[in-house]
Amino acid sequence: MLTRRIQGQKGVQGIIIVNSEGIPVKTTLDNSSTVQYAGLIHQLVMKARSTVRDIDPQNDLTFLRVRSKKNEIMIAPDKDYFLIVIQNPSD
Amino acid sequence: MFTDEVLDSVSVQSLWRKSQQAAQESKGCQTRVVHSAEAVVQTVSTTISSTQTEPQDQETEQLLLLLQKRDEPEPPGLRDFLQRVEGLVIRELVKNAKSHAFDGLLVNWEDYSQRVSCLHCLQHPSAQERGLHVTSVSWSCTGSVIACAYGRIDDGDWSTERSCVCTWNLNRRGLHTKQADLVIDVPTAVTALCCHPNQPALIAGGLYSGEVVVWDTSRTQDPILAQTGMSADSHREPVYQVAWVPLQRKGEFGVLSASSGGRVLLWTVDSDQGRFVLNAAYALVRQQVPHSSSARFKACGSNTVGVTSLALSPWDPDTFLVGSEGGLLLRCSFSSQTPAAVPSEGQSVTLRAPAVFSFRPRSGPVHSIHCSPFHRNLFVSAGTDGQVHLHSLLQPNPLVSLRVSDSYVFQVQWSPTRPLVFAAATGQGEVQIFDLGRRSPKAAATIVQGDAGQAATCFDFNCQNPHLLAVGKTDGTVGIWQLSTDLTEQSSRESSQLEQIANQVAE
Repeated sequence: MLTRRIQGQKGVQGIIIVNSEGIPVKTTLDNSSTVQYAGLIHQLVMKARSTVRDIDPQNDLTFLRVRSKKNEIMIAPDKDYFLIVIQNPSD
Repeated sequence: MFTDEVLDSVSVQSLWRKSQQAAQESKGCQTRVVHSAEAVVQTVSTTISSTQTEPQDQETEQLLLLLQKRDEPEPPGLRDFLQRVEGLVIRELVKNAKSHAFDGLLVNWEDYSQRVSCLHCLQHPSAQERGLHVTSVSWSCTGSVIACAYGRIDDGDWSTERSCVCTWNLNRRGLHTKQADLVIDVPTAVTALCCHPNQPALIAGGLYSGEVVVWDTSRTQDPILAQTGMSADSHREPVYQVAWVPLQRKGEFGVLSASSGGRVLLWTVDSDQGRFVLNAAYALVRQQVPHSSSARFKACGSNTVGVTSLALSPWDPDTFLVGSEGGLLLRCSFSSQTPAAVPSEGQSVTLRAPAVFSFRPRSGPVHSIHCSPFHRNLFVSAGTDGQVHLHSLLQPNPLVSLRVSDSYVFQVQWSPTRPLVFAAATGQGEVQIFDLGRRSPKAAATIVQGDAGQAATCFDFNCQNPHLLAVGKTDGTVGIWQLSTDLTEQSSRESSQLEQIANQVAE
């Protein structure tokens, strides 16, 4: 499996790969959660990227981490795809 | 003497030559004439082709076939993207798992309130004058309207006292605590109340006379949408609990009513005709109650098992729990097909015996049962012994028993937001809130409202605004309380702690 190495890391709860239009391409979560995450995070990444580029047009977003009470969402963006990993570091 | 002699010569003729020439014949033969013909053929076009077998690798062939069948064609560039990104992500994941950077970080988005405070004290003067008690409170599905039912909890006799159901909208600007927004007059005491889970205007109520009514508060003329009336189908004894049950068809709800006559009935609402149609009927009889090993039964007294409390399981649509006047605690099934051992009284639906499993019986009536919204096997029950018992659906004995008060406990309910928290309303007038994570037998918080002599008979958590709690007392007042943040906000380990408690084996 393509994402096996990432899945095997400590505390990883789920992995979603989303294409540039926000449509999930591969996922390890259930359908409804996947769709929810994909839609919301796509918007967030777009906003984060435009924020970084507005501050400095030569700069660009490389990585986004959202930490919440219960877990942490890590997003690695790219031209064609985003990789979303949900990790619970205390597990 | 010796003389010369001359002898004649002897000759022998040759026989061989003569035999050779003796017998001779000669013969000859010839074939017939051979026929022959000539013809010529010529090809018009020519092609040349050749084949050759190659040595085959069995394993890779099979693998390729399997992979092609399972996946759709891989999105272009996905593999490259993952190779680029994998290293970075794994480094971050590993760093995060080891990091202590966020330990103990508390972020407060909302005002952290450490105290439990009373927001409103709602009263209905005419009910208070007559000394009516609040028998049931229920929040509407929107979380802004509280409906209160009045009646008596200490009545033994048949009474014809009129009572009412009042609603207050707490989000309205002109909230009068002494004047209800809507008052519905009811001919007898109301013993049970439940708001519809989807439609904010509908309220189901059970009456002391055994009737089940649904009120539609959006109607100005006559709020009664449907009522059972006194038919052969309806209850004969007070209805102690009503609940809205999702039916087979999605979006439709029926009303489940339980009375002390030992009947649990499932009705569908026929709003055009203004009446209920009996969908299923269950009767509880002592002989048909499954015996658990620790139960001792006295075979005297009445046959029926009077139902005083009812709980639906949010996890399993087939299961419901029943508590009786005699202290029995039973798990029942909607789909049970065993016919009940009661004489038929002309009902339209055959009565069935629903009891499937019997938990350890209590010594007095079970006033309240509630299934945990966070764990499929846990539920709490409370009765007249002053204790709250935490049961698992899988075992007859309780997992944990907590002493809540020295008098009766009238209602117990799990918190809708914190898996380890539940509250109990006692006869001493307090609502005690317990936190199972604290490992202390004392309550995490106690709500005392008004005088201590008046019992707190009912309460309800507000699912939409989880810090609100409504408490009804026998002095006719309904208090709206705001809970502190630590009682309403979930911490990260609670679900696993609840799981641990549920997996204990009761001794």
